[in-house]
Amino acid sequence: MIASAAQPGIFSLPDQWSASRDMRVDAGPGEFESSLKPLWLRAQAGDGAAYRQCLDLLSARLRGFFRRRLSGSPDMVEDLVQETLLAIHLRRGTHDPELPVTAWVLAIARHKLVDMWRRRGRREALHDNVDDVDERFLAVDPVDGGARRDLAALLRELPEAQRRAIMLTRIEGLSVAEASARSGASISAIKVQVHRGLKRLAARVRRDDTA
Amino acid sequence: MRTDTLIEMLARDAGPVPRALAARRLAPAALAGLLASATIAVAILGALPASMFASHVPWSKVAYAGALALAAGWLAARLSRPAAPVERPRAATIAVMLAMAAIGAASLWAEPPGARLAALLGGSWSTCPWSVLALSLPALGATLLAMRGLAPTRLRAAGTAAGLLAGAVGAIGYALHCPEAALAFVAAWYTAGIALAGALGAALGPLVLRW
Repeated sequence: MIASAAQPGIFSLPDQWSASRDMRVDAGPGEFESSLKPLWLRAQAGDGAAYRQCLDLLSARLRGFFRRRLSGSPDMVEDLVQETLLAIHLRRGTHDPELPVTAWVLAIARHKLVDMWRRRGRREALHDNVDDVDERFLAVDPVDGGARRDLAALLRELPEAQRRAIMLTRIEGLSVAEASARSGASISAIKVQVHRGLKRLAARVRRDDTA
Repeated sequence: MRTDTLIEMLARDAGPVPRALAARRLAPAALAGLLASATIAVAILGALPASMFASHVPWSKVAYAGALALAAGWLAARLSRPAAPVERPRAATIAVMLAMAAIGAASLWAEPPGARLAALLGGSWSTCPWSVLALSLPALGATLLAMRGLAPTRLRAAGTAAGLLAGAVGAIGYALHCPEAALAFVAAWYTAGIALAGALGAALGPLVLRW
């Protein structure tokens, strides 16, 4: 990690595609934040490719974070990673651009972890301040273990309008205008249905993690 | 479902994030609560005679509760966001309450000693806090509901802030009916009612604010 200081160019982003190639996967917490922040700000402004890269980088960090705390249950790690990514997406309006992204993500990850423990009946109280940023993302695990849940099955449980909106825009990759033309629903209706569908998915995923 | 599939689904066409989300969700909730409180106070408890609105009687309470609502609203907005700092809004909330306590104490001191207890108790000291609490309930419900859509990670504190905000809003409504003139009365019993609402919010927070 110290060696990266000798190559400052590694954190410059000449174009939006270089971030995941250049950012060393084991960059320390401070370096991670300083590389992630500009990418995240672009994502928040509407840059879809930057957003995808942010979620990729965060999923690797989250995996390491959860793995160190769920030593007995490797299955649950990927479930929690996905649940946290959904929460990050649905609540991204709560990030203040002045504040560090990693602290915000960490608070959400801890909240999800505590919530899962609580729902599974774990009685141990967590005495530390949940938003204490001493413990940052220290370890990284880029390997996507895949999770037990089946996306198709989850989508099938959604109401028709929500499932169709998600299938057309997010899975088949149509633009909102194309999806609107295809399905006959208005553009704003499509957007609302996608948002509601993702919220339903997140609630379903959260309920699943109690099983 | 593979995590990269989920990421693809979330990132595609995600669009820019809405700005100032916490304020935009909490302000309407507080305003709706204010409308409810004012309406109930006027319709059920009865408004003050018009001449009293020319005196300081309702306005000192509106000023206090209004300032407290702004400070507690600021605190509630911060607590609705993961890892957002709360020191300054919390200090502001406490400062407003302490300022009112000082003003109340000063006004009590200005009374001749025999009249102080009467000034403090007024005619309705035992019902005032409960009326303020009752009038805060619509605002509390609306504010907690709005918070659920944000991302509070410190649930008891967030509930307390929502309660204080709702209590202040309830107090503003109650001021339209309450004939008590002594500032010491306001400092003691309005604050008691607002604190009761805060305590109710603190109790409900961990139960209701999960996401």
